[in-house]
Amino acid sequence: MAINNQGTTIRHRKKDVKKAKLTYHAMLAPGMIFLLIFSFTPMFGIIMAFQDFVPARGFFGSEFVGLQHFQYMFDLPDIARVFRNTIVIALGKIIFGSLLAIMFAILLNEIRLKLLKKSVQTIVYLPHFLSWVVLSTVVVNLFNLDGTVNQMIEFFGFEKINFLGSNTWFQPLLIGSDVWKEFGFNSVIYLAAIASVDPGLHEAASMDGANWWKRVWHITLPGMLPIILLLAILSLPSVLDGGFDQVYNLYSPIVYETGDTIDTYVYREGLVGRDYSFGAAVGLLKSIIGLTLILSANNAAKKFTERKLF
Amino acid sequence: MIEGNSFSSKFGKCIIYFIVISLGLVCLLPLWNIVAISFSSGAAVAANLVGLTPINFSTGAYEMIMEDAQFWRSFSISVQRVVLALVINLILIVLMAYPLSKTKREFKSRSIYMNIIIFAMLFSGGLIPTYIVIRNLNLLDTIWVLVLPGAVPIFSVILIMNFFVGVPKSLEEAAIIDGASPLQVLFKVYIPVSLPALATVALFSIVGNWNDFMSGLIYMSQVSNYPIMTYIQSLTIDISELVRAGTSNESLQNIAEVQNRNLNAAKIVVSTIPLLLIYPFLQKYFVTGIVVGSVKE
Amino acid sequence: MITDSFHRFKLLAVLLMLVVLLAACVQSSSNDSETTTEDGKPIINIGRQTGSNPKLPEGDTFEDNAYTRAAEDVLDIEIRNAFEAEGEDYDRQVALAISSGDLPDMMIVSQEELKDLVDNDLIEDLTDVYEENASDYIKEIYAGYDNKPLEDATFDGSLMAIPGTDSLAAPQMTWIRADWLEELDLSIDEDGDRLITLDELEEVAKAFLENDPGDSGNPVGIPFENYLNAGGYGSFTMDSIAAVFEGQPKKYLIEEDGSITYGSTSEGTKQALEVMNDWFNEGIIDPQFGTRSFDDIMALLTNGQTGIATGAWHIPDWGLSNVREMDNNARFTAYALADDEGKVNVAEQKTTGGSFIVVKKGYGHPEKAVEMLNLFYDDIENTTEADMENTFPEVAEYLAQGVDDSTKPFNIVVLPMQTYLDDYQDVQAVLNEEMAVEEITNPQVRQNINGIKNYTENPEDVPTSNWSSYHSRIEGWGLMNKLTEEDRFNWIEAAYVGNTPTMEQRGSGLGSMEEEDFIKIITGAEPLDYFDDFVEKWHNQGGSEILKEIEEELAQ
Repeated sequence: MAINNQGTTIRHRKKDVKKAKLTYHAMLAPGMIFLLIFSFTPMFGIIMAFQDFVPARGFFGSEFVGLQHFQYMFDLPDIARVFRNTIVIALGKIIFGSLLAIMFAILLNEIRLKLLKKSVQTIVYLPHFLSWVVLSTVVVNLFNLDGTVNQMIEFFGFEKINFLGSNTWFQPLLIGSDVWKEFGFNSVIYLAAIASVDPGLHEAASMDGANWWKRVWHITLPGMLPIILLLAILSLPSVLDGGFDQVYNLYSPIVYETGDTIDTYVYREGLVGRDYSFGAAVGLLKSIIGLTLILSANNAAKKFTERKLF
Repeated sequence: MIEGNSFSSKFGKCIIYFIVISLGLVCLLPLWNIVAISFSSGAAVAANLVGLTPINFSTGAYEMIMEDAQFWRSFSISVQRVVLALVINLILIVLMAYPLSKTKREFKSRSIYMNIIIFAMLFSGGLIPTYIVIRNLNLLDTIWVLVLPGAVPIFSVILIMNFFVGVPKSLEEAAIIDGASPLQVLFKVYIPVSLPALATVALFSIVGNWNDFMSGLIYMSQVSNYPIMTYIQSLTIDISELVRAGTSNESLQNIAEVQNRNLNAAKIVVSTIPLLLIYPFLQKYFVTGIVVGSVKE
Repeated sequence: MITDSFHRFKLLAVLLMLVVLLAACVQSSSNDSETTTEDGKPIINIGRQTGSNPKLPEGDTFEDNAYTRAAEDVLDIEIRNAFEAEGEDYDRQVALAISSGDLPDMMIVSQEELKDLVDNDLIEDLTDVYEENASDYIKEIYAGYDNKPLEDATFDGSLMAIPGTDSLAAPQMTWIRADWLEELDLSIDEDGDRLITLDELEEVAKAFLENDPGDSGNPVGIPFENYLNAGGYGSFTMDSIAAVFEGQPKKYLIEEDGSITYGSTSEGTKQALEVMNDWFNEGIIDPQFGTRSFDDIMALLTNGQTGIATGAWHIPDWGLSNVREMDNNARFTAYALADDEGKVNVAEQKTTGGSFIVVKKGYGHPEKAVEMLNLFYDDIENTTEADMENTFPEVAEYLAQGVDDSTKPFNIVVLPMQTYLDDYQDVQAVLNEEMAVEEITNPQVRQNINGIKNYTENPEDVPTSNWSSYHSRIEGWGLMNKLTEEDRFNWIEAAYVGNTPTMEQRGSGLGSMEEEDFIKIITGAEPLDYFDDFVEKWHNQGGSEILKEIEEELAQ
């Protein structure tokens, strides 16, 4: 009786699995159609990177120049410096930004005063909504030679620092101000991850006498780990994004040496040359590098955590 | 979660409160500055004199906004956009995330789809070809152009997929034995236990759509069709660049008039209010502490 | 098995339906096939460059306002906007329209876009319609520029676009707080010729620094933008200082033998940098020079931290006006920096200003473009106040309310070469009661003169706009007029340059290098001799080719 029963469920299940597969395809279909139309169809435009694109000639009339734009990019005198700056700035933002966001999420989760918790959470996520055009004036007023920060530095008897005009301080300033702007918003995702951790585990650990640190270390963090890893991997392609708006609104020729990034550089190039093709070539290169990074990181993650993230 | 009355845990609690509150303050002060600017007179703002209290207090900027018909037209366009986009995004996210969260054994084609998605996330055709496609679809100057090109937020799909992977298999199996179809499993099992994550991606969708100004600039040919952030952006102009480009005296004069940073600040304050209201509403999904079980496998 | 294929079929059907649905949306027959309205008026779809604060009255739009209605009445047309945008966004819309093959009937383009459009045969030849329809006044205006603007729009003997003009080269002025000069009892320009020397400027800057007449507690020296020179007469740039040494940075100068040199690499520019380096070391130049943005510099002036600004004649209208808002007693005087011989060196280029109106190839009524030109830059500009009320009452109303020029559907500037000097004569005539306000034909000048009168009668209690009109017209135009009358100008011929091929490739790189190196020299990060390295780098990294290309272009 029992065996027979099981046999039918298995058969049923097999059918179900096939049926389920079809449903899976159907569920993916609408999204895929949108991607096909709005992402993949326009990709014919990538040929622009290999052309000397002139709007009046269009994609069919513009002259093909092969890899000339890539060649040109690597011949630019400042290209090494621009790549180096971009990577340093972007990595700094990713690393410090994630660390602060994770830390803040964990600490905020400990706050028991509901009103305080809610208001702090709302406040820290606000800077995310302000554009750098607006925030740059705030940053400049704080950090210029007569700014609040320098007044404090002077008060403590140190020499004033020209943060905005110093090649030593400009990168830390970019990283710091971006971390400040985004950590609150980024912490939202980690709060969601913490909320998904089974509270039962915490209770059990408390019973065993584990202190707060131990519980964070052994329960909360491991619970968040997949999301932390996922976000780290997904942020990898952005190591080639210095954050155009921020840099553009804060930099000046004095700090080109440490502050000029790929995006700002291409922007200045493009303004003079209306160079759509050059922009497309840089974009394509960034995409290829991003794809390589993300795929290899995913494979590495599989090796170490025995779990592919996507 | 810190319990007990020992000195060290009380001390630890104090430190946590201190850190959280100071991080909150560090974020609050610059915003406070923007609010103070919005209530100050234009010249005081131009002179960089406004700190945390308004100088020559005036509500003039807000009165100007109240009378600005285009501001409110753009505001309502943005509201419509956000609502449409939120619905479309959430439906597509869960529909796509669920099959993708299956193992290779359960769903063989998964990796093909995954590769397509990752590719679409990283590569783009660029401004001009996308414009041509959208123009040929006759979407220019419609609300859909603000919604459809971003209908699939890939980052959110991957995020939700990962949360779905963490949902204990036992829950799903129980539902299947009860005869639930995949769609039923998705809606009855996966979605209820993933509310914090779904609230997160809903927030991303709302914030992203509200804040995006580029698509309005590119796809809307008339100012009257601009969403709010595009409208605000079109008013913030780099005078310095215009001077450098040799713009005529008359235009500079009129532009300088709206370059009142206090007016811009007021616009920013007003346009941020909806986002302020939405967050506390979504917040309740983060704190309900739904029992999901460990994400660990 | 049967159910399986059935399911597969169902799935396929769903997919197909979706595709069909979308394809239905795709169906793109272009919708702008209309060329005439129902009652037979030609429709013009215009690519519209807009301004950000047009001050349009309630209900009016860029597509439908006093100017468009005037044009529709007079020319019997209907104007529609194919797209509206401003600045960079407008340029992008133009590029998108061109690349998607969907040109509006008329639009404003830049010199480069014009070349591309001509090369690809996308626009209408306007030679005949211009000859037949342009008014004599309009033709005279272009003739005043030796027809250079028309030449810029002419390709193989055909006029392919209607060019704008760039009125009168002018010196960059040095605006100094007059109330502070009086307060500190400083006497500069004792002979009253409005010319000052670098030494005098230095003396004033030092006095302002020592005495802090603005009571700011933190006076700074002369502020400069981090780009030190601009193509036009920029604000807070070094152009006027370099001009003292006959250096004309950022200009391509035509030498006597016809060869081209680049002003930024000239000996004069080097000397100017030397002076500025000294000044920086002595604190006469803002110590945070290099990192100050435009807004920061405006703040320094508005706060009373500095009282010296270099800029165009119209800077009181949109920049210095803030200073008066904060300090009711603030007044400025405009001076020109002169060289040892008492001359003011100014680069002059008779140009188009870079804007052109083009008409789409195959458009049925190209003559309307020229008629519109007549309407806006002849008829309306040359209407007395009384006539205006009768013929264009709505436009008169706009002018009274200060509605922006950008609301004109056809907003390229086509003004006579001497326009500001002529206007200044009119203003003076009215102030001396030799002429009635009503007799002035230019409606904008009529607006200004009332403000100027108010200001001269009661300088303290009038609105800032009157203060601005007085400063820009009486101080600014007045200085230009005085220098012209006393023959102080030394014009240096500069070539107007669009984009040569090498410039497109290397231009911005060279520009960044120039900005960076000049700042380094002034702030002392590099010694003065580094300028010679800069010159060498500039030539090696494409500069020499650019000069050669310009020479070839001019030789044609």
